[in-house]
Amino acid sequence: MKKIALYFLVPLLVGLLLTGCGNSATKDQAKESQPPAPQDKKAILVVSFGTSYPDARKACIESTENKIKDTFKDYQTRRAFTSNIIIKKLADRDKLMVDDPEQALTKLQQEGYKQVVVQPLHIIPGKEFDDLKAVVDKFTADKAFDKLVLGRPLLGYQIDPNNTKDFDLAVDALKKQLPSLKEKQIVVFMGHGTEHESNAAYQMMNDRLKQANLPAIVGTVEGSPTLEEVKASLAKLQVQDVTLMPLMLVAGDHANNDMAGDEEDSWKTQLKKEGYTVTPYLHGLGENEAIQAIFVQHTQDAIELLSK
Amino acid sequence: MIRKIIVLIFSLLLTLSLSGCGSSPTTSAPQEGNIQVVDDLGKTIVLQQPAKRIISLYSAHTENLFDLGLEQEIIGVSSKETYPPASVKKPAFDYNGDPEKILAQQPDLVLIRPFIQKSKPDFVKALENANITVVCLYPENFNRFDDYIRKLALLTGKETVAEEKLRQFHQQLDEIKKTTSNITPKKRVFFESTETEYRTITPDSIPANLLQLAGGINVAADAKAVSKESSIASYGVEKILARAAEIDVYIAQSGAMNAGGSPASIKIRPAFNEIKAVQQNQIYNVDEKLVSSPTFRLALGTKQLARILYPEVFDSLAPLSPQTTLSRQELAEMVVKYKHKEFFSPTSKHYNKTSGHLYGSFVDIALDHPAFHYIETAVQAGYLAGTGNNFEPDKAVTRDELSRVLFQLADVKDTATDITIKDRSLCEKPRIVELIVKNQILTLDQQKQFNPSATVSVQEALAALNKLPQR
Repeated sequence: MKKIALYFLVPLLVGLLLTGCGNSATKDQAKESQPPAPQDKKAILVVSFGTSYPDARKACIESTENKIKDTFKDYQTRRAFTSNIIIKKLADRDKLMVDDPEQALTKLQQEGYKQVVVQPLHIIPGKEFDDLKAVVDKFTADKAFDKLVLGRPLLGYQIDPNNTKDFDLAVDALKKQLPSLKEKQIVVFMGHGTEHESNAAYQMMNDRLKQANLPAIVGTVEGSPTLEEVKASLAKLQVQDVTLMPLMLVAGDHANNDMAGDEEDSWKTQLKKEGYTVTPYLHGLGENEAIQAIFVQHTQDAIELLSK
Repeated sequence: MIRKIIVLIFSLLLTLSLSGCGSSPTTSAPQEGNIQVVDDLGKTIVLQQPAKRIISLYSAHTENLFDLGLEQEIIGVSSKETYPPASVKKPAFDYNGDPEKILAQQPDLVLIRPFIQKSKPDFVKALENANITVVCLYPENFNRFDDYIRKLALLTGKETVAEEKLRQFHQQLDEIKKTTSNITPKKRVFFESTETEYRTITPDSIPANLLQLAGGINVAADAKAVSKESSIASYGVEKILARAAEIDVYIAQSGAMNAGGSPASIKIRPAFNEIKAVQQNQIYNVDEKLVSSPTFRLALGTKQLARILYPEVFDSLAPLSPQTTLSRQELAEMVVKYKHKEFFSPTSKHYNKTSGHLYGSFVDIALDHPAFHYIETAVQAGYLAGTGNNFEPDKAVTRDELSRVLFQLADVKDTATDITIKDRSLCEKPRIVELIVKNQILTLDQQKQFNPSATVSVQEALAALNKLPQR
């Protein structure tokens, strides 16, 4: 019986210790900058899905967060991940404590922040974004802050075929990471895909790429266009060489396994089976400085909403 | 109240059915109370006859029961089964659930392990109160594996099968040991059992013993168990770094229960670049199911460890006789060895996949086929493919097929040379043949024919492998 008690007590104690650490860390962070007058304590919460790949986290997430931090110096910049699995893994494995959006906003509220921008690093306004929006709406309803604004994902608040501004900017940014391609060569972007209606973003991106006359097409792992549809497009375009790029913030599990893995159903294997020469590019969009700049701009746009 | 009545009725039925069977006049039936086993909680279990309705709540027990030929007798398994494939299809029971669900099945044997007894004592009690025979087994040390298998066999009347399985198992281990005993110098290994606090394994644990058989020297042989009866041992970053220059190979187990880090995360840990294995890129994952879980697949795990430590010996392609025509099963073995690809071991997630090849589903490749693991590994990696549910292991490999396999194995790029392949249209994937020929991995005959349907010898295939661009 005593042993059983221990099983419960130990995690509890560890948990207490850890939250202790978390608090002190955030206090330290707060000390770094000049303490602002309480009425205009301002913060930006940068929200991403997260990744357990440490190198990808540095290159894709931290880099973008830092751009935002360096641009908006009079704001306190914080991080939140939406994946509880990744949050737990990082806590257990690396002793790296990351809040989910709700925890992060609660802390900001407790610390007396009055104006908060929540800037997602999501690509499309899908289910992840809906969930985040629900959290933000809850804090708004509770009047937790004087002002609370949610910024928009890379491709906008919603997918609107009549408003392609965000898409065109994203296409310009993607252009910067395309290799110099010869005849019969193409880039295939692998997006996540979703059952959510915002999956329409991927076909719209395809249309914009075509409009911009770029040798690139988009497919998705879990939505449409499917890999089969990608194969059909490649056959129609009569290309021979494919560079695979993740249309995701981070080159994590999907990029390493579903896209480029030595696995029967990876895109690399499936395309090679058809006779294409394939080069995987294992870098997330977060490494692309032009994409980072878009997220900085979206933060700026959200800040402007604050003062309205 | 209703529950109690149900329990009563079931136990009554059970007693009736048991006594019924016991009194049946079969000559081969053992004497009453003939089966006696002391389980790992020190409890003496007496069975009237071998168990016929077994529920196993631990995946290793399930796997071993299947290996003993008890597919019919297993009426329920745990919710975490992965091997053999047939185990995944059995009704699953969860010790976090309602014990009534198990009682309703009227098992005559429920197998658990100490972890379940410790974490869910009330669940176990509920079964025992309903007069269900609950047996708790788990060989924490490698030395207790045989004894554990014999207890399972005794409970189920499979003593003869068990002895034969154990003989084969030890024969496989002895063969590996014989090979590694001649290797010098031996590789020194750190084995990471958990990513948390960089724990290792106790010297008498199952992985430590396999490591020794595989010819590895455990640099953490001084590690002490985190608790009595545990195979996990404390170690920590300071002790690892103190041995940094000694660690030739860093092996971390991967899996759902206790898992170490991935090579990518181990590489970038602070100060880990002092470790020789990290500097020389000798960091590997090995599936805990193959090196920690007490099943006959430990022989495969030992082989996997030996392949990691001494690839020049265990992935050597020399034993294949060069003049013979290459068969598909030989090609599977050849490519897995060439790529040093870790043996595939299915996760529970694997069985949810809706397209592609499902592990173990080739009707012509039984689980005990000598090339089973090479074939499954090659197919799961996408190097080779079957035809529907058939693999056709003995079928000769054609040049056409070989070209497709070679193309999957390496990064073959287009070249500026122009070539004409006269029988191009006879090739299944002309573009692949063209690229393979352009890169001079396979060549045309004097009439500029590729001859796609011609078979290849082992020697020709080996020569082609050697011409592939290196990573």
